[in-house]
Amino acid sequence: MPTSASSRTRPRPLSPHLSIYRVTITMAMSIAHRIAGAALYAGVLLLAWFLIAASSDAAGFGAFSAFIGSFLGQFILFGFTWALFHHLLGGVRHLICDEGYGMDAPLREQLAWATLIGAIALTIAVWAIAYVAR
Amino acid sequence: MSPSPASLRTPLGRVRFLGAAQSGVTDAWLMRLTSLALVPLTIGFVWIILDVVNRDYNGVRAGLSHPLPAIVLLAFIVAGVVHMEIGMRSIIVDYLGGRARGWALLANACFSAVLALACVYATLRLAFT
Repeated sequence: MPTSASSRTRPRPLSPHLSIYRVTITMAMSIAHRIAGAALYAGVLLLAWFLIAASSDAAGFGAFSAFIGSFLGQFILFGFTWALFHHLLGGVRHLICDEGYGMDAPLREQLAWATLIGAIALTIAVWAIAYVAR
Repeated sequence: MSPSPASLRTPLGRVRFLGAAQSGVTDAWLMRLTSLALVPLTIGFVWIILDVVNRDYNGVRAGLSHPLPAIVLLAFIVAGVVHMEIGMRSIIVDYLGGRARGWALLANACFSAVLALACVYATLRLAFT
């Protein structure tokens, strides 16, 4: 391997990364799984606030209720629900793949689509139940 | 090389404590364990929240202080916090290096520990008061 100055000015070869590959559904669901996980990491603060508020006095719970009932609160809670179901279904998909199943061309794409569509469907279903039961 | 056939590590590597620490699969195992546990626990968690979502202060307290919801909540919190701590740790070591990585790992551990303690304390307080 040459170690002259001319060879050092050439950029080092890099392994192909995200910008090189064609976007596939399995790739998109892989990064979506991580983004949903990170969102849940922050969203769990909402659960902590809910539990602390419920275990304190009525005024403290009222402050939580007012926030979660506001547009911003409902928007965050809807996003939390979606992230929760997306990460849940994505996790099940990962467990299936870890066992060596669903790695072939049609099934792995179907499982990835099922993660995306299933999570949206479950989110809408749960919110519909919550509103109907009101 | 050491004449001992029991180890493939070099003497220098052994002196510097380089090589596998024999604990490398702990996180991978805990991640799968908590993943599996969180499948039924998440369903239970959503069930509990749907049960109390339209109630007032006293209704929420009554709903969450029953033993079954309280136990499911506690299990969800413990499994969830272990899961999210490992998950965020793997995100940090993927994207951060140097001193930022150290501070981020410290913040992750502290956040997870405080969150777990706060949620467990609040759930127990709901159950026992």
